[in-house]
Formats: sequence, C-alpha cells, structure tokens
Amino acid sequence: MEANRQGARASYVALAIFVAIWILLPSAVRRFTREAFVEFQAPALHLVGKSRDLATFWEKKSRSVEEMAAAGRDLARVNAALELKLSAYEDVRRENVRLREIARYNVPPEYLSVIARVATRDSSSWWQRIVIRKGRNDGIRPGAPVVFGNIVVGRVTTVHLTTSEVDLVTSPGFRCTAYLEGDEQNRIVLVHGVASNSLGTAKARVSVIPRDYSMPAGQPARVLTTGMGGVFPSRLTLGNLDGMTYATQVGNFSESLLVPSRDLYNLQEVSVLVPLLQNPGEALMQGDQFQ
Amino acid sequence: MTMGWAWLILLLATYPWLLGADLASDALASSSLVFFVSGACLIAPSRRLKRWQMILFAGCLGFLFEARRPIPDGALALSLVAAAIFLSTQRQHLRNTPGMLRAAALVNVGACLIWFFAAAYVAPVPMGDIVAQLMRQLLLAGVVGTVCLLPIALTQNAAMDRLGVPPAAEKP
Repeated sequence: MEANRQGARASYVALAIFVAIWILLPSAVRRFTREAFVEFQAPALHLVGKSRDLATFWEKKSRSVEEMAAAGRDLARVNAALELKLSAYEDVRRENVRLREIARYNVPPEYLSVIARVATRDSSSWWQRIVIRKGRNDGIRPGAPVVFGNIVVGRVTTVHLTTSEVDLVTSPGFRCTAYLEGDEQNRIVLVHGVASNSLGTAKARVSVIPRDYSMPAGQPARVLTTGMGGVFPSRLTLGNLDGMTYATQVGNFSESLLVPSRDLYNLQEVSVLVPLLQNPGEALMQGDQFQ
Repeated sequence: MTMGWAWLILLLATYPWLLGADLASDALASSSLVFFVSGACLIAPSRRLKRWQMILFAGCLGFLFEARRPIPDGALALSLVAAAIFLSTQRQHLRNTPGMLRAAALVNVGACLIWFFAAAYVAPVPMGDIVAQLMRQLLLAGVVGTVCLLPIALTQNAAMDRLGVPPAAEKP
C-alpha cells in the first residue's frame, strides 16, 4: 500500500515535470501531436460519412417506381425554370464583362469550387463546427469560404490531409463585414458569432448598425457579404436580421441578432470556394493554425 | 501479444465508443451539448492495468478528444493522466459496481469541467449565461458517465481478458 502511494507520488512529480516540458516545447511539436491524432481518426470519420451515404442510397433505392417518376417529373419542371434563369444570367454576365472592360476594372481572384460532404457536426458553447470530407489532398486551404448555394455556411479554419474543419457563421470565432438589405447607402456592419446556449437556436450578432437604418417592411432584412477583405465573394447571404434592433451602451449604433438562412446543422453537402490566388486574409490564417 | 501493448489494444477497443460519442454529439449539435465519455472510459482499465499503462491510455484518450476541438493542447489529456494516477491509488473504491459508477460520474464530470473551462479560456468572445450552460453540460456528462460505464467496461474487460491482463486484485 505504502509502495503504491510512493509510486503515485513519483508519478505526480513526473507529470508535473512533463507539463512544464510540454508548455516549453515548440508549438510545432504540439501541432504535430494534434495532427497525428486527427489523422488517426480521419478514416473512421470517412467510414461514418460513407455509411450514411450508403444508407441514403438504399433508402432511395427502396422507393417505388411511381414515386421516382413523380420526383423526376418535378425535377424536370424545376430544371426548365432554372434554364430560363441561366440564360438571363448569361446576359447579365456578358454585360458585366463589357462594363468591366470599359471601366478597366481589376477582375477579383476567381474561386475554385470544391464540393464536400459533411462528415460530422460538433457544437458546444465555445465552438460550432462541421467536419467535411475534403482536405489538403483536395486543394482545400485554411480561410476558404464555405457556402451552400448563395448562402454562407462558414469558413475553413483547419485543414488536415483528408478532412477539414469549418467554423459556422454562428461560431464565436467567426467574423465578417456585411451590408444590410434596404440600406441604400451601403454602410458596413459587423457580423460575429456568439457563444450559444443549449436552449436557444445558434445565432450570430450584427453590430455597428446605423441608428437611422430602418428594415424593409413586411420581410426580414437580409444580411449580405461585402466582398471586402477578399475572403467571401460579395453579395452572398449570411442570414436575416432577427426583427428587433437595440441600442448599444454608447448609443451611437444599434445591434441585432442574425438568424442563418438555413439550418446549418442539417446540411449534407457544401461547396468550398478555394481562391485561385492566395489572398491576404488567407496568408494571415496560415499563421493561426491553432483554431 | 505482450502485456506492454495492452494499453494500445485497449485504446483501439475503446475507440468505437469514442466514435459513438462523437456521433451522438453530432445528433446533439443543435443544442450545443457535447456527449462526453472520455472520463468514464478510464474507470475499468484503472482497476487492472499497470500505472504506466494507464498513463499512456489516459493521455491518448484525452488527445483523441482534443484533436478536432479548439482546446489548449494537452489540457484535457494531462488532466486525464492526473485522474488516472489518482484512480490507481484508489483501487479499493473501484472493487464494486456502485463504486465504479460513482467514480465514472465524478471523473466524467470533472474532465468535462476541465475541457469546458479550457475551451472558455481560448474562446474569442465571452458568454453571458455560462453557469446555466455549464450546469446542463455537466449534468449530461454525469448521466452519460453513469449510463455508459457498464457497456464500456464490458467491452474493455472483454478486451483485457483476451489480452491476458490479470484480473483486479482483491487487495490492491
């Protein structure tokens, strides 16, 4: 018994020494340890994601022929409507190119869209993230925006070999500038995630709203990306204002909450917009691998 | 298989439970709660493994949880190592099921408290009603630790039996 206690005491001392060494170790060693454990778990995450896909496949395969025919017919109608829209957009694109040529406007760096399936979601008070099944091997880089259609989902924070972690719009680590729909002067507001509690829906906060801003009547005001900073393309939807705005303590501006346009925890697939050219924000992110 | 690698094989045998906990956290994502079982996974091995094996097992268990989460490196892993050393001196309290259940709830809640504060330490924004959220998370950790201990211990004991780890001593 006494030997056991002495052994435990020695172990505590060894642990204390190890903690001191651990703190003094270069961050590269700690990062390597973290990466090693992430890569150890990556195959299991892929397996889970693929099992889900397989279950969905068999669930769809078990549908009757009539059901599939009806779904195909509906899809054909939607496709026809979208084709009309596409041709309208093509006209707009041509006009855009022509105007840019006239104005000699610098074309912003284009993005390469990488479609990725969601492997798992992980959320607590201090982080709201999803893990996607694409990583460094697929060209994903830290800082790349993640979208679903024209809705911003979040931003890639950490990239591993075959998986990446995405901070959602509502995550406390998320920051972005935005425009408010209905503000004709296009004044910039700030969007940042807030630490959430389990009884409420995850939301972000919109701050620095001008006092004289009034929301469009009869519909929730959309919050759109500005495109400044080069991380997010402009005019993507971040979400809607949560109705009320309230004055800040200093009283010069108002604040409100942002409700994401889509349930971010039900996404199965997202697009990662990888900039073809490295932007300044991305260069900064590379030095911030901890998050 | 030599006894030296028993901790690693046991870790692999425990991993499906950790993955299951991650999937349960996935299902709970909209409520901002994490299904935490790392503390409960320490209890059964601490009755039978040697202290150095427990230290390695606990460290890896902590690093597996930390790997994909924004927590200061080693905060949970080293805390679990300390908990493993402590458990190795308290084997007489782990001889019966009620004692194990009590230990599972306590260690799981303690470890959960540590990761919560570690995450809060590096969080970019303060949180308003931290106490209520912390209480919900701790309550979940306590319940999960108690409920999941028996199936986890069953798996771990079966693995240790296969590896030829000696059973828990009557008088530790």
